[in-house]
Amino acid sequence: MILSDKVLIIGGGVAGLTAAIELADSGVKTVLVERQHTVGGNALDLYKAFPTDDCFYCFEASRFRPGIRKCFYRSALLDHPNLELRTNTTVEAVAGSPGNFEVTLMVGPQYVDPMRCIMCGLCQKLSSAFVLISPQCQPQAVVYVPDQADDNVKEAVEKCPTKAINLEAQPTEEVIRASDIVVATGYHEMKPVGMEEYHYEELPDVVTQLELARMLDPNGETSGQLVRPSDGGPVKHVMMVQCVGSRDENYYPYCSKICCVFALKHADIIAQEREGVQVSVVYMDIRTYDRHERYYRKSRRAGVNFIRGRVQTVSKAKDGGLEVIVYDSLLDRYLKFRVDLFVLSTALEPSAESNEMAQMLGIRTSNGFVASLDPTSGDEVIVGDHVYACGTALGPAEVPESVTQARAVALKILQGRK
Amino acid sequence: MDSKVAVVLCTCGGTLQLDYESLRQEIAKEEGVTGVTVMDTLCQSEGLEALSQILSDVDGRVVIAACTSQKLQPRVDNSLGQGRGLNTSLTHYVNIREHCAWVHPDIEEATKKALDMIRGAVAATRLAQPLQVASKAVDAHVTVIGGGIAGIEAALSLSSLGYKVTIFEVTDRLGGHIISLPVIAPTGKSGAELLSGRLEAIEKDDNITVMTNTRVKFVEGEMGNFEVHYLQGESEEENVLKTSAVVVATGFREFKPTEMEEYQYGRNPDVITQFELSTMLTEGRLQRPSDGGPVKEVVMVQCVGSRSEDYKRDCSKLCCTFAIDNALELIKNDPDIHVRIIYMDIRVPFENELIYKESREKGVDYIRGRVSMVWRENDKTRVRIYDSLLNQYFETSPDLVVLSSAVLPPDGLYELSESLGFAIEYDGHIKELYGKLRRNETRRRGVVAVGAVTRPQFVSEAIVEAQAGALMIHNELQGGSVEKIARGALLDVDECVGCSLCAQQCPRGVPLMIEQTEAEESQTDSDKFLFKASIDILNCHACGVCQSLCPTGATQLNFLTNEQLWDQIAATLRDAGPEYPITLCFHCEECSVSTIDIVGTRRLQYPANVRLIPVPCAGRVSMVDILKAFEHGASTVMIAACETDRCHIGGTGNEIAQIHVDVAREILNAIGWDGRRVDMFRMFSAEPERFIVAVKEMTERAESLGPTPVHKGTAGRWMEVSE
Repeated sequence: MILSDKVLIIGGGVAGLTAAIELADSGVKTVLVERQHTVGGNALDLYKAFPTDDCFYCFEASRFRPGIRKCFYRSALLDHPNLELRTNTTVEAVAGSPGNFEVTLMVGPQYVDPMRCIMCGLCQKLSSAFVLISPQCQPQAVVYVPDQADDNVKEAVEKCPTKAINLEAQPTEEVIRASDIVVATGYHEMKPVGMEEYHYEELPDVVTQLELARMLDPNGETSGQLVRPSDGGPVKHVMMVQCVGSRDENYYPYCSKICCVFALKHADIIAQEREGVQVSVVYMDIRTYDRHERYYRKSRRAGVNFIRGRVQTVSKAKDGGLEVIVYDSLLDRYLKFRVDLFVLSTALEPSAESNEMAQMLGIRTSNGFVASLDPTSGDEVIVGDHVYACGTALGPAEVPESVTQARAVALKILQGRK
Repeated sequence: MDSKVAVVLCTCGGTLQLDYESLRQEIAKEEGVTGVTVMDTLCQSEGLEALSQILSDVDGRVVIAACTSQKLQPRVDNSLGQGRGLNTSLTHYVNIREHCAWVHPDIEEATKKALDMIRGAVAATRLAQPLQVASKAVDAHVTVIGGGIAGIEAALSLSSLGYKVTIFEVTDRLGGHIISLPVIAPTGKSGAELLSGRLEAIEKDDNITVMTNTRVKFVEGEMGNFEVHYLQGESEEENVLKTSAVVVATGFREFKPTEMEEYQYGRNPDVITQFELSTMLTEGRLQRPSDGGPVKEVVMVQCVGSRSEDYKRDCSKLCCTFAIDNALELIKNDPDIHVRIIYMDIRVPFENELIYKESREKGVDYIRGRVSMVWRENDKTRVRIYDSLLNQYFETSPDLVVLSSAVLPPDGLYELSESLGFAIEYDGHIKELYGKLRRNETRRRGVVAVGAVTRPQFVSEAIVEAQAGALMIHNELQGGSVEKIARGALLDVDECVGCSLCAQQCPRGVPLMIEQTEAEESQTDSDKFLFKASIDILNCHACGVCQSLCPTGATQLNFLTNEQLWDQIAATLRDAGPEYPITLCFHCEECSVSTIDIVGTRRLQYPANVRLIPVPCAGRVSMVDILKAFEHGASTVMIAACETDRCHIGGTGNEIAQIHVDVAREILNAIGWDGRRVDMFRMFSAEPERFIVAVKEMTERAESLGPTPVHKGTAGRWMEVSE
């Protein structure tokens, strides 16, 4: 095996990015494929990260951007000599044999050339069809949304100082060769449509934890203001409910592992940084492993109200808020609450891409997540012959776990080339 | 000084609202500036082409005034430096887009700010020295301390990358705790089975040397050149092993709850810990320890010592799964056995939930509550249990009481930390370099920690950590030939007075204090230092903390010397005065530059009478630098740094900066100034408003405190002292 053989990494979230940078830094030619227009995956929407409580936008530095860590926007992925970043791209088919895969990529229309876009903002001023997904997006480039096209888009094309826009761009198919494939297709936050008791999507004030993270983010739509999505009214009482879809035979039997910490992190932020807002958490077991227990201690001290039990129903209250009936298993009785925002800690489910990749590559799955080739070996990241996986594609994981797994993948691939 | 500097101004495709003509004229007047070029798109191939010509004309001494260096510099370095072999290390960047045009709608004000900052960069560039690639050879040898699963996996991983490895194990065999586990979720195998393949591989591997019954006493040296001092067997004779990096994998210690009266552990032999039960099951000798009788009823107690203010505050993570594993093993051996598990919360992550469910189906009783006491009565063990769901007490007579006791850090970590230089977390485990992304590196370069020594973790997690830790060492040692740009602290040994501040405070533990063997014989006083510092620039993280603390200027960053920064301060503040009060902001090039850049990207606005000077880490800014700013006419000075505990340079650079700021404030107060003229602010790129609030605060202070004694010409004696 020679070092110039490419490694294909599928998914540009925390795990895929880390694997890509570690391999590229070690001199391995790496192709990183991401379905969205920006890398970052779920992390881009998470606001504050546990366990460090800083922003979610930072990620591993590279040999060419030395340091302990850099924000997404300054990670200079496009300029890494060993890294080829393909956004808006999906994997269509995998042929060939282990060590010599032939992978068909479907490259979406590249309306804006990310190497040419300088983010001057001129096109954005002219037409709302040009958007900057996030100040932290990577590649640092504007994205064109054809559905939003108006009469001004032509003018934007002409005035673009670097001629970065091509509205005629078409999707293309491309075949690349790769010696190894890394599945880093991440997770999806379950949307509990159809769970009768919660009325998610019917009641606008019922949201998921990821949606709450967007509300708390000063860079988000509400600039960090906590307001009722239904009428913009003030939020005085937030209620969270754990294990929505997790530990549930009708949905996912496993524990999603990070939702307790995720919820309590939000509970802490609300209790400490938003004045006069009461937070309640309805739970079965609070699972704050290891040092994450700190979040539980902190939120108890901050006055968060914990109710062991289950939510019976959520309904619209007369004054615009929500009425929630909770069964309290410690008191063995039903309690009625009036809340403004009802937050569902929903399951982490395998992403659709994980499923597709598992089928294409013929690899094992467990509860829908990609599973290791030999579960009795303790070698978690090897999922097939020359096929590896890391991060939440393997199951719910914290950011540091995803990073550690990605490094283990890089090590295994380097080993194979010694 | 005859070095010539070229200045390149970029208009960002003609979109930036700045007065380029006046900028061009004013900059051309600057001493040392040989030419000013205005370009429309520097970052594109045409622009880079033109820049490469300019770079060669002035031997790399170029100031680039364009968008954020955070995006532009990698592109210039990679396309012209790596790509064309030009030395780009003298180039300085000024952000006239995100830091000027995008945040100050008043063109005149934005242009004035850009001009001042370009003047500063020109001054720093004139004194810049080119950086070169340096290389060194180190032994491709790594020492692993601890022969449990993490140490074993680390050794195998390193060996497979071509390193020679020595494992030091304090007991007489490899395997650690897991060799005694009857079953390990989710593998379904016993610990011994999981280990056997790995132990065989070690046996066959010529690159791996195993030394059992061996204790590490201390370690000297630094990455690439460590010396491990160790004792073997009963012998008191100290041996020494040369090695380039160290993996600490000394595992954990199970809490022995002898002090907890309520459980009678250590007094009643039928009260055992969960690990003791594992050993019994593995060895096939399940019986009542008191009288050898059969075990028909078992009570397991969770969170013994964990989640407790008196012992260990945090959760030990593994104990619920361990208890369930053992409960299932007990039922497998004897389907009629009755197991009760007394718990507060059952914590079984991901698919371990399924074995929890299985255990419920197989009849394990789960009781939410606490055990209030254990005692002996009529030769039987009695247990009193509070059930919090039923809110009532009941009593039972089990054959075994099994305590799921806390997972604690192993013995000996503090002693090891003294010579290995890693930091210790509040719970006694090894502290990671950075919790989110640098879990297995420690504060000390070349020292990696894997497995339960960093935190309680499952076997599969320890294996993955060991693999990742091996990669981190490989990244540093690069197979034995280390090569990179020598960018960091240079030490002038003649100037060193041996105070050891740098060695004590370096966030990555890089400077070493070297004994000066010739000091005794030396005649002159100045040579009589017994110890002097030594810094390997290839190990340096280039933060500048040593420089800000060094009393004699012996250690200085080779890309930002004291003189460079002071000239930059003076040039930036040339127009500052009582009519135009200026706030000088030193900002780190990590969280702070991001925050300030994002403010620009979002087109937020703040007062324009602030000037920015980037430093690699806030810890680079010394109290002298702060006073220099006042000397040259700043009305107020602010330092923008990373949040507490989130310093990008090993976690402490920002705290060193805080000390400098606090001392500078004291000095100002002492000499009759107002100490409020200097302050420090913590930045966070997810909350860009923080920078705006900080600038508003400091420009308002500049306004309200009025002209400084320097402006009024009444400054006190301190200035003469500093001359």
